[in-house]
Amino acid sequence: MSAWTLCIDFGTAFSKAAAAPSDLRFDPANVRPLQLNPQPSGNPFLLDSAVFVDDARILFGRSALDRASSMAGRKRVALQSFKTLLSAADLERALDIKAPLSIDPHRAFCMRDLIVLYLAYLLAAIERARAADACIPARINLRYAAPAWQGGDSDALHAVVAGLFGEAEALRMRLGDALLADEGIDLALAATALPRAADEARPRAMGLIHEAAAAAAYTSIGLDESGSHLIVVDMGAGTTDMAVLMRADHQMHELADARVTFNQAGDFLDRLIADRALKSASWAKSTAQKTALWGDLMRAMPDLKAAMFAEGRASRRYERRLINVSLRDIERDQDFKAFLKELQAAYAHCVAVARGDALLRENASIEAVAVGGGAGAPFIQELISGATKRGPRVTPRPATPGWAHSEVFGGNLAPVFPQLAIAIGGALAPDNMLAAGGAA
Amino acid sequence: MPAKKKSVKRTNASAMGKKGAARKRAAPKASLANALAEAAWADADKALAEALIELDEFENARNEKAREAALTLLAQALAQTARKRGLTRIGMLGAQEAFDPQRHEPPPRAKSAKSVRIAARGVARGAEVLARARTEAPRRRSPR
Ligand SMILES: Nc1ncnc2c1ncn2[C@@H]1O[C@H](COP(=O)(O)OP(=O)(O)O)[C@@H](O)[C@H]1O
Ligand SMILES: [Mg+2]
Repeated sequence: MSAWTLCIDFGTAFSKAAAAPSDLRFDPANVRPLQLNPQPSGNPFLLDSAVFVDDARILFGRSALDRASSMAGRKRVALQSFKTLLSAADLERALDIKAPLSIDPHRAFCMRDLIVLYLAYLLAAIERARAADACIPARINLRYAAPAWQGGDSDALHAVVAGLFGEAEALRMRLGDALLADEGIDLALAATALPRAADEARPRAMGLIHEAAAAAAYTSIGLDESGSHLIVVDMGAGTTDMAVLMRADHQMHELADARVTFNQAGDFLDRLIADRALKSASWAKSTAQKTALWGDLMRAMPDLKAAMFAEGRASRRYERRLINVSLRDIERDQDFKAFLKELQAAYAHCVAVARGDALLRENASIEAVAVGGGAGAPFIQELISGATKRGPRVTPRPATPGWAHSEVFGGNLAPVFPQLAIAIGGALAPDNMLAAGGAA
Repeated sequence: MPAKKKSVKRTNASAMGKKGAARKRAAPKASLANALAEAAWADADKALAEALIELDEFENARNEKAREAALTLLAQALAQTARKRGLTRIGMLGAQEAFDPQRHEPPPRAKSAKSVRIAARGVARGAEVLARARTEAPRRRSPR
């Protein structure tokens, strides 16, 4: 049996994972996104990155979010977007900070504990999904994708993250499948298991691949020729990241001075759209009416946003009234305008950096690709396909590659591909694209 | 769904014994395709249900405003259904294109067509054309 690689994309909103054989010729049939989410509601390939500390239990994933929203009145929230913690300047210290009261009213856990708990849950979900797919062997090289933080030291970050995964693995061995129960795990049990797992833990042998490199891997796979330079724009839920990669001697290098991260992405657009819709609903006067409408809009948001991106407008029926929001309305918003302007400036800088480097090399050609759930946003697509003034042209690449339409997926991988792109690319990338760590 | 997963597992376990490798692998490959399809269909079904309800709203609308609202939501729900199934549209409404029998139905009453105008967009999934675009003979003067 050939060696396989599994890549975890631990996103701010969703965790994803995919596996692929490392040494076979590329075949779409061997690309295996993992079904991490067994619940009938929600996409089976997306696991909500969330932890909720309840009165006597700890809940994960969708159950955590559902429980949190049922207790919203009590000022209790689920821990989400904890991935952004990894960008902290002093990561070890940030991990030791106690979780805020709104997240952990017991004051029992620090951020490290909650992240380790979530990772144990994620590893358990991965193991269940892997075992259900007989194509994927039990022994598998493990990788995770992370953004390359500005000025960050990949080796230092990797040492911390491999440590966290090591503890999570030890915790998973202790708690077993109980981690996957809808009702979560017993809080006291978790509190006693955590320090024991920390004692037993050994750092997990795994590789770190930068998210942009993973995007480059899927973009070029199966092609005879691909550009020497690739600009990657990744709009997820919590952040929008841009990076420029350069290919030389079958290796990818990042041109670090192009890299930039914005804290505005899908969540930011959600708020803008809901806000705009609320403003147009002049009949919603009381706070109660507004809160109820806001909640309804947020629940419908994935569909509204998809309609908005595809058709330029979205409508919602609410208590026999019609609410309309158009992309034009959003584009007129001051916050959006400011964001777009920064985005354009950052992208222009990426193009300039790529061009500057391309001029130094023979046969250089520049490509651009958008990944992440927001890849289809018209303003993102306009950005990467925008006419450029001088120098080598920038060729836009599709967010969903041709092979994702392969018959083996029955036409159903393509619609979710942009969100799975990093996990899939991370699994397909050769070892020499790793930023730290390596095969087990 | 859990029941289905279990049965897939059992098949694999029994196939592990001596059956050929090709057989062993066929089931899980199909199961990934099934899972993808189930997920896409579940979402598509919801959108389709929404479309059916709006169709009723459209047919029972008491005034033009209600009718328009229902039509807007019906169109949105149908487009959503299509997206969830990975369907894309072929061509742009009203655009004039070189006639391509793979993608265009020939315009009615035209003996031979070199160039056509898209009257209703076709539908594709990936490279596969599910329904060709309906066309008209191009307008004499500049279109639109
Ligand atoms: N088809 C779509 N149209 C518009 N937005 C989408 C679509 N699919 C997902 N999203 C949005 O993408 C974001 C999640 O993207 P993802 O790349 O998974 O984020 P992260 O990696 O940060 O977890 C969410 O804001 C979600 O609403
Ligand atoms: Mg992401």
